[in-house]
Amino acid sequence: MRGPLTGVATVFRRELATVVRTPGYGVLAVGLLVAVGGLLAAGGGGATGFVPAVVDLLLPTEALVPLAAVVLGYRALLADGASGELAVIRTYPVRVGEYVAGVLLARTVALVAVVGVPYALVGTGVWLTAAPDTGIFATHTGIDSPLLYLRFLAFVLCFGAAYVSLAAAVSALAASRRSAIALGVLALVAGVLGGDLLLLRSIGAGASPATIPGSLALTPNGAFRGLVFEHVIGVAFAPEGGFVSTGRAVGSLVGWTLLGAVVSGGALAYGRRVDAAIERVRSGIVD
Amino acid sequence: MSEAVASLSEVSRTYGGVPVLESVSLAVEPGLTAVIGPNGSGKSTLLRVLVGATAPTAGEVRHPDAIGAKPIGYLPQRVPFREGFTARETLAFYARLVGDDPDAALDRVGLGDAGDRRVEALSGGMRRLLGIAQAVLGDPSLVVLDEPASGLDPGMRERAFRAAADRADGDTAVVVSSHALDLVDDHADRVVVLRRGGVAAAGPLDRLLDERDAADARELYRVVTGETGALPGDEGEVPEGDGGGDDGGDEGEIDGGDTEPDVHVTGVSDR
Repeated sequence: MRGPLTGVATVFRRELATVVRTPGYGVLAVGLLVAVGGLLAAGGGGATGFVPAVVDLLLPTEALVPLAAVVLGYRALLADGASGELAVIRTYPVRVGEYVAGVLLARTVALVAVVGVPYALVGTGVWLTAAPDTGIFATHTGIDSPLLYLRFLAFVLCFGAAYVSLAAAVSALAASRRSAIALGVLALVAGVLGGDLLLLRSIGAGASPATIPGSLALTPNGAFRGLVFEHVIGVAFAPEGGFVSTGRAVGSLVGWTLLGAVVSGGALAYGRRVDAAIERVRSGIVD
Repeated sequence: MSEAVASLSEVSRTYGGVPVLESVSLAVEPGLTAVIGPNGSGKSTLLRVLVGATAPTAGEVRHPDAIGAKPIGYLPQRVPFREGFTARETLAFYARLVGDDPDAALDRVGLGDAGDRRVEALSGGMRRLLGIAQAVLGDPSLVVLDEPASGLDPGMRERAFRAAADRADGDTAVVVSSHALDLVDDHADRVVVLRRGGVAAAGPLDRLLDERDAADARELYRVVTGETGALPGDEGEVPEGDGGGDDGGDEGEIDGGDTEPDVHVTGVSDR
């Protein structure tokens, strides 16, 4: 019999099967592994330790993870709509919220595999090659530790999940694959560069530097960077912290993730009515 | 008089400001109702509005007697199933949502032996039968099939239409759009003739034939629309693979891609 989670679980299984059967995502994971491993090697290799590795990877991660997330999500909700299958699915007892939740959960699990595995492998490489004192399981000041890298990995996945959700929202709003790509690229550029440019502009306009930690946390990239500085890099090198408000930064990443889900659900739930309303306006103009 | 399973009241729909449906009022009763009309007459749009896939720009759609966990079954003109999945996996996805048996559904349309074939490896006719199997999962009260016999060879056409007709009984209304007027003659209880987005004639097939002094559905079509209908077997306008359909976001009533001149609206988008 159908339970409350049947819809979510059924959509999730189908979406995950689709991801597993798409060879391109495997290529994406391998590409990410090569890129992350290459960046680490260029920065001195795993022998330098976990925190230096995080320092080397932080800036590229702010571009690579959103890129991978957008690739995973930009067609997530468009595919069924464009093929006409969404109209069929909606004749079944699956609420829009269940459908969106199933798709987003599957794509987030895919992100964990596509992004998490390469970063975990690189972390393992650091563990195997780093100096002996990096094996100490401690997080107090001045000590490098695998736990700091695990924190970094957790922040990477939360950061990526926010972008997957936002990319899915883009896919729900797009009318075609081409427009989904265009909107995805726009969201990527706005997300990666937009927040920092706005911050610089506000400081240039006279805003106090003391507002930076608060403002930084508002964008996904700023929140991610702040968390990494506060809880990974700062732990080892800067005991006073204060890079970003942890609660605000975590809330920001959760908020962006929820925003993407809500926009996705809203676009699918009300898209037909909005379309009809636009047509009514057009008809009035034509008349 | 049977209770209407669904009804449309003064329903209109435009695309880009151009009317595709205009003030259509209709009651869908149990039994098999065939929607016929020239290309661009609004058949697919009517069916999409009927199932709720497209919102009307005016008027009201009601489903008073469409009940159950899955009240409506729908097969678009372009069978939309995701590639990479087998026929059984495709039906299993839908069957799980309504607690139905995918293998029984495959057997019902004669695809029991094709369950392990991927959707993209099925012929156009087999995909359409798979679509019909999907549409009737969960025993819906209203089954809407957009050109179920399109692109099929004569044997498959008959099989597809019969599969649809078999669902139509005292409680279930089946609505099909079709150019296959010979099959409409054989199976339809009621007919709706569309012309330029409006209902030109509607009612029990026998009554309409009497009223219009027509020998069969083809003559009725000619009398009402002023055009000749497709010859038996001519509903194969859509090549296998369904590439020429008018659904799935290209709702411009390019009904199957044949070349009749009376194309009312072409190339307009649903999005």
